[in-house]
Amino acid sequence: MRRLLAGLAVGSFLVAASACGSSGGGGASDKNASSGGTTTVKVGVIPIVDVAPLYLGQQKGFYSKRGLKLSMTTAQGGAAIVPGVVSGQFQFGFSNMTSLMIAQSQNVPVKAVVNGVASTGVAGKDFGAITVKKGSPIKSAKELEGKKVAVNTLKNINETAVRESVRKAGGDPSKVKFVELAFDQMPAALDSGQIDAAMVVEPALATVKSQGATEIASSLVDVAKGLTVAMYFTSTQYEQKNPDVVRKFQEATAESLAYADAHPDEVRQAVTTYTKIPAATLAQVTLPKWPAEPNRASIEALEKLDAQDGLFKSTPDLDKLLP
Amino acid sequence: MRGANAALGAAGLAAFLALGEAVPRLGLVKEAYLPPTSRIAHALGQEVTDHAFWTALGDTLTGWALGLAIAIGAGVVVGLLLSVVPYLREATASTIEFLRPIPSVALIPLAVLLYGTELRSVLLLVVYASFWQVLVQVLYGVQDVDPVAEETARSYGLGPWARVRHVLWPTALPYVMTGVRLAAAVALILAVTAELVIGAPGLGARIAVAESSQAVPDMYALVVVTGLLGLLINVGARTVERRALAWHQSVRGEVMV
Repeated sequence: MRRLLAGLAVGSFLVAASACGSSGGGGASDKNASSGGTTTVKVGVIPIVDVAPLYLGQQKGFYSKRGLKLSMTTAQGGAAIVPGVVSGQFQFGFSNMTSLMIAQSQNVPVKAVVNGVASTGVAGKDFGAITVKKGSPIKSAKELEGKKVAVNTLKNINETAVRESVRKAGGDPSKVKFVELAFDQMPAALDSGQIDAAMVVEPALATVKSQGATEIASSLVDVAKGLTVAMYFTSTQYEQKNPDVVRKFQEATAESLAYADAHPDEVRQAVTTYTKIPAATLAQVTLPKWPAEPNRASIEALEKLDAQDGLFKSTPDLDKLLP
Repeated sequence: MRGANAALGAAGLAAFLALGEAVPRLGLVKEAYLPPTSRIAHALGQEVTDHAFWTALGDTLTGWALGLAIAIGAGVVVGLLLSVVPYLREATASTIEFLRPIPSVALIPLAVLLYGTELRSVLLLVVYASFWQVLVQVLYGVQDVDPVAEETARSYGLGPWARVRHVLWPTALPYVMTGVRLAAAVALILAVTAELVIGAPGLGARIAVAESSQAVPDMYALVVVTGLLGLLINVGARTVERRALAWHQSVRGEVMV
């Protein structure tokens, strides 16, 4: 009897604990659930400013009027998104162009469908920059030779961009010591002198600037004018099986991008719904550009630089990758 | 004695909180990176008024509880099976010793490939980590069975099932309860880790969002919540252990001294 009571005690402990649980966000929503002509698609995104148009477009009804409902799933970084899209966990995902080109060159079945985010194209006023600590003797990208520079991911878009800035300033990028550090840790590392410079993007860039740091180069601008930094993509299987859904997603997202580009105040409002960026920081954040169409010339320029830096084992096929 | 202990505990906690307030205020570390206790408390106050916070807490607890329940169930059943069926223990020992030290976080890529960023990928990590805690304790517990009691049960004609129920299980229960207590803590660690790294919904994902949003006080507030959760889980697991083993000398002894 006592043992039975013991069993019951353990059981009720667990039941009580699980009863507090409610499943929000992800959960067991079925993929492609169609109800009343509405198709729900799961989109794997990173909770950053760049994806604000999707949230804004959803609010504005750009997706619902085409019979689409977006279920945003936030992942920590693109590393979880590409496998998620390829295995069908997500129908669409958000990824930077270098990662997409690397995936394509390795024959991972990805297909970019619609533009994601672009640099502002204005040096000194972009959403990403190489920054140095207040009072640092480093004044230009050339002086980064022999210095420790932090990028969020080694061998990816930001390292390529920093290398190009150094090259353009007349320096030798192979002499730069790159270290990998998450964007949000860069302000503290820069401040304490653990690193000499950081390739940092918003909102960490706003924090760094508020500490008095100086921008020495707008690396994404150095890569190409109006660089397409990231795009939304799907898997080639999904694109072939559901051309209609893909087309609707393209149209609705293009409309959302154009709307976001024209309404920066509403973008800042939408950002507060899925991030925790403090209001004071958000007001300082430089918003990116959201053109409706990707800029093919800039992607080709990025591909050339990535190839030069040895990121590809075989050349990616842009005709296959891009819409 | 008890009152004095509680007073000492409270004083220790108060000193710790005061230190947390003083260190950033005195400029030993920057306030921007380690906000003083009062600002973390303020951020915590704002968190608990947010509906999304409770959803995240619920998600974390769901992952924890489901994962723990599966791990305990599987650990006990597999453990008993391995000990009761002849030769099975010897045949599986090397495999278990090989699989057990694999850190659960090393399975994150596998979890993402199989289940994406859903609850199931959290469960995979939680179950993998806590299963071994239970299994190993069950195996130890079964080894501890008194041979005289076992022989006596045999000579009284008790069948295999009755022997498991009346001899093996009571002997193993204290070990199982230790396993459950360890597993409960490990399960929470893994649930939060999985959310933090993979981005599955829950407290961990919320910490990651606060981190990438440069919302430092909010991030610490959420870290404090996970600490409190761990504390509650440990207290809960100890209570369950004491209840379940009220008949056992280890618990009875505590009361008598």
